[in-house]
Amino acid sequence: MGRTQRGGALMRESRAAWLFCTPAALGLLIFIVVPFLLAVAMSFTSLRLGSPLPLEWVGLRQYGRIFSDPAFLQALANNLIFALTVVPVQTALALGLALLLNQRLRAMAVFRTLFFMPVVFPLSLVAVVWVLIYAPGPNGMLNAALSALTFGAWQARDFLHDAHLALPAIMLTSIWQGAGFQMVVLLAGLQAIPGELYEAARVDGAGPWQRFWHVTLPQLRNPLVFVVIVTSILSFRVFDQVRIMTHGGPHDASTTVIYEAVQAAFDRAQVARGAAMSVVFFLVVVLITLVQRRLLRQEREVA
Amino acid sequence: MNAETRQRRNGTPPVLGGRWHMRAFSYLFVFASAALFVAPILFMLVGSLKPDARVLAEAGGWHAFWPGSGASGQNYTDVFHRVPFARYLLNSLWINGLIVALGLPVNAFAGYALARLRWRGRELALAAVLAILVIPFEAIAVPLFYELTALGMRDSYTVQVVPFIANPLSIYLFYSFFLGLPRELEEAARVDGAGVLRTFLTIVVPNAKAAFASVTIVTFLFYWGMYLWPLLVTGGPSVRPLPLGIATFYTLPPLQWGDILAFGMMMVAPVLVVFVIFQRWFVRGVAATGLKG
Amino acid sequence: MRLSSILTCMTGIGHKRSWRWRCPTLAALAVLLACSGGCGGQAESPGVVTVWAHAGRAVERHTLEQQVAAYNARSRTDRVKLTFIPEGSYNGQVQAAALAGDLPDVLEFDGPYLYTYVWQGRLRPLDGLLPETLRDDLLPSIIAQGTYRGHLYSVGTFDSGLGLWGDRRALQQAGVRIPKGPADAWTSSEFDNVLAALAARDPDGAVLDLKLNYPNEWFTYAFSPLIESAGGDLIDRNSYRTAEGVLNGPAAVRVMRRIHDWFRSGYVDPNLDDAAFVQRRVALAWGGHWNYPRYHKALGKDLVLLPLPRFGPRMVTGEGSWSWGITRRCRRPEEAARFLKYLLQADQVLATSEANGGVPATRAAIARSPLYGAHGPLRLFAEQLREGYAVPRPRTPAYPTISAAFAQAFRAVRNGVAPKRALDRAVQMIDRDIRDNHGYPDVAVTGGR
Repeated sequence: MGRTQRGGALMRESRAAWLFCTPAALGLLIFIVVPFLLAVAMSFTSLRLGSPLPLEWVGLRQYGRIFSDPAFLQALANNLIFALTVVPVQTALALGLALLLNQRLRAMAVFRTLFFMPVVFPLSLVAVVWVLIYAPGPNGMLNAALSALTFGAWQARDFLHDAHLALPAIMLTSIWQGAGFQMVVLLAGLQAIPGELYEAARVDGAGPWQRFWHVTLPQLRNPLVFVVIVTSILSFRVFDQVRIMTHGGPHDASTTVIYEAVQAAFDRAQVARGAAMSVVFFLVVVLITLVQRRLLRQEREVA
Repeated sequence: MNAETRQRRNGTPPVLGGRWHMRAFSYLFVFASAALFVAPILFMLVGSLKPDARVLAEAGGWHAFWPGSGASGQNYTDVFHRVPFARYLLNSLWINGLIVALGLPVNAFAGYALARLRWRGRELALAAVLAILVIPFEAIAVPLFYELTALGMRDSYTVQVVPFIANPLSIYLFYSFFLGLPRELEEAARVDGAGVLRTFLTIVVPNAKAAFASVTIVTFLFYWGMYLWPLLVTGGPSVRPLPLGIATFYTLPPLQWGDILAFGMMMVAPVLVVFVIFQRWFVRGVAATGLKG
Repeated sequence: MRLSSILTCMTGIGHKRSWRWRCPTLAALAVLLACSGGCGGQAESPGVVTVWAHAGRAVERHTLEQQVAAYNARSRTDRVKLTFIPEGSYNGQVQAAALAGDLPDVLEFDGPYLYTYVWQGRLRPLDGLLPETLRDDLLPSIIAQGTYRGHLYSVGTFDSGLGLWGDRRALQQAGVRIPKGPADAWTSSEFDNVLAALAARDPDGAVLDLKLNYPNEWFTYAFSPLIESAGGDLIDRNSYRTAEGVLNGPAAVRVMRRIHDWFRSGYVDPNLDDAAFVQRRVALAWGGHWNYPRYHKALGKDLVLLPLPRFGPRMVTGEGSWSWGITRRCRRPEEAARFLKYLLQADQVLATSEANGGVPATRAAIARSPLYGAHGPLRLFAEQLREGYAVPRPRTPAYPTISAAFAQAFRAVRNGVAPKRALDRAVQMIDRDIRDNHGYPDVAVTGGR
C-alpha cells in the first residue's frame, strides 16, 4: 500500500513536472531551438538574404570555406585568448573588489552601486566612449593619464590600431563593463559565509591569509563556479566592442567569431556562411562548457 | 537570520584585520578602484552637460570630468525635441516589463521542476537548458526573423516580447536558487497533503523573493540594450525601443556627442533606479543562486 | 499571396523545379512556414503614399518633414506618410522589410545599393513617370547613378561633391601651388611634395585628414576615384565579372602604396574628434559638400576648395548620394511619382541643398543656388559633376560586397599590411561573391510594370 501511494505521488510529481516545464520548453523550442536548427540547415545551402537566385544545396562547402579562411581561424583563436584572459582576470578582480567591499567600511552600498554601474550601460554606448578613451596621440585620455603617471616616460600609442594592443584594449573594456556583475555575485556569496567559521579559524590561530585560503575560498566555491561558467559563455559572445572599436583589425588581430558571422550574414548577405560559423561556434563553446563543468565538478568532489 | 545580521553580530571584518592602517589601506584602494570604474561614466555624465564640440575637444585632460562654465541641460531638452524620446522610453518599459512579467512564472516553474521534482528526462532537460544558454542571439537572428515574419508578427510589441519570455539563463538562475532552498519546508507541506502546485505557490515562491528580484534585474539588463532584433522586425518609431532611438544620432560625423550622451544617461537611468531599489534583494538573491552553481 | 512571395525570396522556391529532391530540410522549413499562415504587411488606407527616408541630421529631418507637411497641405487627395529610419544598418532594415513584404511605396536609399535592389526585384523603373523636361534638367551624374540595364530607377534631389578642403594660409606659407579647378589638379608626385612641404612646417607632422573616423562606405566613395584616375578600378566594368587584375592591378597597387606611405610618414591625422581641420591641426582635408558649413565657419576666408589629386592623365572624383526610388509593391506609382516631382521642383531642391549642403540635382536649381551658382564657393563640385570628372560606383548587385572588401583593404593598409596583399584579399572576396551568385544573372523582372 505504501508502495502504491509513493508510486502515485511520483506519478503526480512527474505529471506536474511536465506541466511546469511545458511553457518554457515550448518557448525555448519555438524561439531558440527551431531557429538554431534552421541555421544548421541553412549552413548546408547557398542561402543569401534577399537573393532572387534559386537555393542550392551545397553540402559542406560553407564549412570548407570558413575553415580555409584565415580571418575565421584567427577569430576562433582570438575568442580563446579572450576567454582565457578575461575570465580569470575579471574573476580575480571581482573577487578582490568583493573582499574589499565585504568589510565594514562606511558607504559600502554606495561603492557597490558605483562598481555595478558600468554593467547597466549598453555595450554599444560603452564601446563608443572607450574609443574616445583610447584616442591616439598624447591628448588621448588614456595616453594622457599614463603619461602623467609615468612622469612623461609613456610614449603615446594608438591602442586600437596596434596589432599587439587592439585585443587587450577590447579585453580591458569588457572587464570594466563586466566585473561589477561578478563582484555582486561574489559579494553575496561572501556575505552568506557564517561568521562563526572565521571565529573558529581565529581561535585556531589562523592569520588573515590562512583564513582566506581555508575559510573564504572553499566557502565561495559554488558562487565562483557559477561566475566562471556564465562568464565563459558570455565572453565568447564578444561582438559590440569589436564592431565599434576595431572592426576586427588590425589584420584580424581583434576579430571574433560572432563578429565574422554578423559581417557575413548582415553586411554581405551571406546568411549561409554566417550560419556555418554560428554552428562551429556553438560546438566549440558547448565542448568547452562540458570540459569546464567536468573539471569544476571534479574539484568539488575532491573538496 | 540573514547574512547581514550574522556578520554584524560577528563584529569584525571577516577577511582583513581591523587595524587602522589596514582600514586606511582598504579605503584608499576602494577609492582608487572606484575612481577608475567611475571615470568613464563621469566623462559621459559631464559630456552630456556640455555643448557638442567641447565633449571631444576636452577629452584629453581634467576638463573631461568637469563641466566648467557653460554647462547646461540643453542637450537633454534637445533630445526631447529631436526624437520622440518619451515614445521610445514607454516602448522600452512596456517591452521589458512584459518580458519580465511573463518570463518570471514561466522560467520559475521550469527551474523548480528541474531542481526539485522527480521525473524522467530531468537530467537531459537540464543539459539542454545549458546547451541552449550557449547559443548566441546573433546566431539565430536571421532564421528567427524568417520564422516570425512567416507567422505575421512583424512590427509589433508581440514580436519583441514573445520570443524572449522563456530564457535559459533565467531558468538556470531559478534552478540554482531552488536547489539551495532547504527541503524541510516543502516536505512539511507535502505531509500536510498539499499538491505540487500549491506547495510551490504557497511555500516556495514566498521564500524565493530574492530569486525573483535577481532574475528581474538580470532580464531587464539583458534586454534593455537590445538593438539587432528590433532593427530587423520593426519599421518606424511607433513600437521601437530606446536603442533604436539613440541609433538615430549615429549619423555622418561630426556626431552630436552632447545629445548622444544625454540620451545615453536618460536611457540607463531607469535601469540604475531598478538596481538601486532592488540591490539588497539582488545581493541576497544572487548569493543563493550562486550557492549551487 | 504575399506569403508565397516571402517563401520565394527566402528559399528560391518557385524558381527551380527540382528543389524538392535537392534539399529535404528546406522542404520541411517551407512546410513549417507555410503552415503558419498569416501575413504582415501594411494595410494603408487608399491614397496614402508611404515613404522611408534616412534619419540624417536634425536639420535635414526637419526640412523633409516640412516638405512633406507642405505637400500634404497643398493637395486634397495625395497624402504622404513619412518614416525616418536610422542610417546605421539602413540596408539591413530595407532587406528585412523587403523579405516581410513591408517595403514602403517610396524608398530612399544610398545610391549604389540601387543595383542590388533592382536585381532583387524590389524597385520599379521610373520610365514614363517623370516628364522628359525634368529628366533633361537633372545632372548627368544623377541619371548615371540611377540607370541600370537601360532603365532609370532612381533620382536624387541632390548629389555629392568630393574634394580636398585646404587651409589657404597654411598652403601659402608652405609655398605650394593652389589648383584653380578640376583640370588643374595636383599630380600625385606634386601632392607628395605638398604633403612634405606642409609637414616640414607642422609641429606634429600630421597635415592630412582622410576622415578615418567615417563609416565603411566612405572609403570606397572617397578613395576608389584615385584608383580610377590611375587607370585601375574596383571591378572590370566591361563584364562586371571579376576584379582580378583591376583592383589588384599595378595602377591600384601604386595608389594604395602611396596612401600607405602617407600613413607611414605620419601625415595622416586620425581625426577621431572630427575636428582636425577646424582646429587647424591639418592643412588639407579629404571631404565633401557636407563639410562646408562647419569648415566655412571655422576658417572663413582661408577655406579653399580643391580637386582631388590626379594619379593619371585626368582627375577623377566621386559622385552619388541618397536617392529615391519607387518600390514594386507600390500600387499607385503615379501618386508616388508626383511626390518625387514635387521634391525635384527647384524650390524644394534648393531647400534640401540648404539643409544638407549637397549639390542641387537640377540645373535650374544650381543656377539659383548661392553656393553652387557661377560664382558660388562650391562651384567646383557642380563643375566636376557636370563635366564628367565624377565616376559612379560600379553598377552591379555585387556592390555591397565590393565596398565591404575595399573598406577592409583600406583599413588593412592603414594598419600597415602590404597594399598588394590587402588588395589581393579584396579581389578574392569579390570574385568569390560573383561566382557564388553565378555572375548575378538577370532573374528578377526588371522591365516595366
